[in-house]
Amino acid sequence: MKRMKRLNLADIAILACLVGVCIVVLIPLAFMFTSSTMPAIDILKLPYPWFSDHFHWQNFWNGIKGPEGTFIFLRNILNSLIVALAVTCSTVVLSALTGYGLAKFEFKGRTVVFMLIMATMMIPFEAIMIPLYMVVTRMGLQDSYAGLIVPFLTSAFGIFLMRQFLMTFPNEVLDAARIDGASEPRIFASIVLPNAKPAIATLAVLTFRSQWDSLLWPLLVIQSEEMKTIPLYITKFMAETHSDEGIMMAIAVMASIPMFIMFLTMSEYFINREGLHSSTKG
Amino acid sequence: MRQRRGFSMEQRKARWGWIFVTPSLLFFFVFSFYPIFNSFYLSFFRKNLLSLKPPTFIGLDNYKYLMRSSLFWQSVKNTAVFTVGAFLPLLVLSLILAAFIMTRPRFRKGFQMLLYSPAALSSVVAALIWLLIFDPRGIANQALNALMNTSGVNYHWLSSPGMLRLSTIIVYVWKYVGYFTVIFVAGIGAIPGSLHEAALIDGADRWTDFWHITFPLLKPTTLLVSVMAMIQCLKTFSTQYLFVTSGAMSQPIEVITLNIYNTAIKDYSIGRASAMSVLLFLVMLTFTWVQLRLSRTEEVSYM
Repeated sequence: MKRMKRLNLADIAILACLVGVCIVVLIPLAFMFTSSTMPAIDILKLPYPWFSDHFHWQNFWNGIKGPEGTFIFLRNILNSLIVALAVTCSTVVLSALTGYGLAKFEFKGRTVVFMLIMATMMIPFEAIMIPLYMVVTRMGLQDSYAGLIVPFLTSAFGIFLMRQFLMTFPNEVLDAARIDGASEPRIFASIVLPNAKPAIATLAVLTFRSQWDSLLWPLLVIQSEEMKTIPLYITKFMAETHSDEGIMMAIAVMASIPMFIMFLTMSEYFINREGLHSSTKG
Repeated sequence: MRQRRGFSMEQRKARWGWIFVTPSLLFFFVFSFYPIFNSFYLSFFRKNLLSLKPPTFIGLDNYKYLMRSSLFWQSVKNTAVFTVGAFLPLLVLSLILAAFIMTRPRFRKGFQMLLYSPAALSSVVAALIWLLIFDPRGIANQALNALMNTSGVNYHWLSSPGMLRLSTIIVYVWKYVGYFTVIFVAGIGAIPGSLHEAALIDGADRWTDFWHITFPLLKPTTLLVSVMAMIQCLKTFSTQYLFVTSGAMSQPIEVITLNIYNTAIKDYSIGRASAMSVLLFLVMLTFTWVQLRLSRTEEVSYM
């Protein structure tokens, strides 16, 4: 049996510090979960009753139903899911395709293409949102799923990630498949994609999260209640002065469920992706 | 006529290479390059979002207007205060936390996950939670009262300009400190253990080891984190937008992105909004350029 290593004073101080910071970081989360099950009156009681004796589940039901009983919340959460999933699928496929093309094919202009794509990473979305909005309006895509999805069909960061990942993929495997007569699209779909799973998972998690979080772009292109995504729904709720705090927090919890599921089941892709990121830079 | 078979393997591969990169390339021309050129172009014109009239060329008037506009300078100042105020604590805290986490290998993953968990929330939800925490009757006042040994004092988290700025910074640091800690942990983890062993054999204690081995070797990571954090802070929008939407005063926290949004969507002045976008773009480009320059000279190799 391993002997317990004796902790010295410095170790204890460090551990106490870490635990302390973690507790402080988790307090707002605990506040969200506890207050979502309280009647509004209890939430702003002094002092805050961390452990309430009864579970006020009505917050969740009222949140889903909405003040007018239209269940628009469900429609809005569906919108968010549709947009986030569509963007994630398209970004993964297009980034993998382009990253593969840049990593494994030699053609005239390859370096220029790569540089052009990398250059777009320096253009912040905030600096182009107005012209982008005008482009999308001219295409007649405002207030539609297409308007939310089309400007994010692929990502320069994703292409970079896939290219770096696929550069180390053995050429022999690809050539063997070619000799066997497999077509290039076939090789991509049945050999490259399945072997790029770690990079794909990282990119998928990242893309889904940024779409689920997206506020500025939907704010520009969406006008109707039916087309709103969850961030817009919450924004509208917050702007109303007489919103019930308990219901608000119940909505916050429900809006976070997909992210929490993803975070708990795929945490290694959240945590490891910076490792991947820093190992692929340069 | 030449048969398809006549193409060599190289030519065929080159063609497929182009086929694979073309969709993304076309996309970037329409949704990145065209808009950024259009941003520059429109910044020299007067254009109303709602009017169908073609834009009128007015030269540098939009830029001149901005230079004289106190609202513009206020939003520049707000962005600068927020960026410095959020970036420094983020950098220092995440570095310290990462160094602490590395001393406890058994709990490494657990601590990282706990610290990272706020980043899994969307910024809208984060703002919603903190607005209730900063409520005059909320737990922020309760905690500060307990800490300062006062009772029932309202610290005006959302109603005094300074505190309001601090509040937005707290939300941001809370949300992203775990994210940057994870990057630092990866950076520290990449330093070969043999270097630490050598230092320890030479009689260094843990503090000397950190200060003379880990910290200098961490320079590229620190640089990466600094620029990433700074660029992220410059682009901040959601927290400020939601705070203002739910009734906080806008003057101390109207950052540049919020100003661009309001100018374009509320005032319909596309030209002025574009001029601001261009300035924001140039500032960020400078930061990125500095990062690239520095990282080239500071690259650490463990060969």
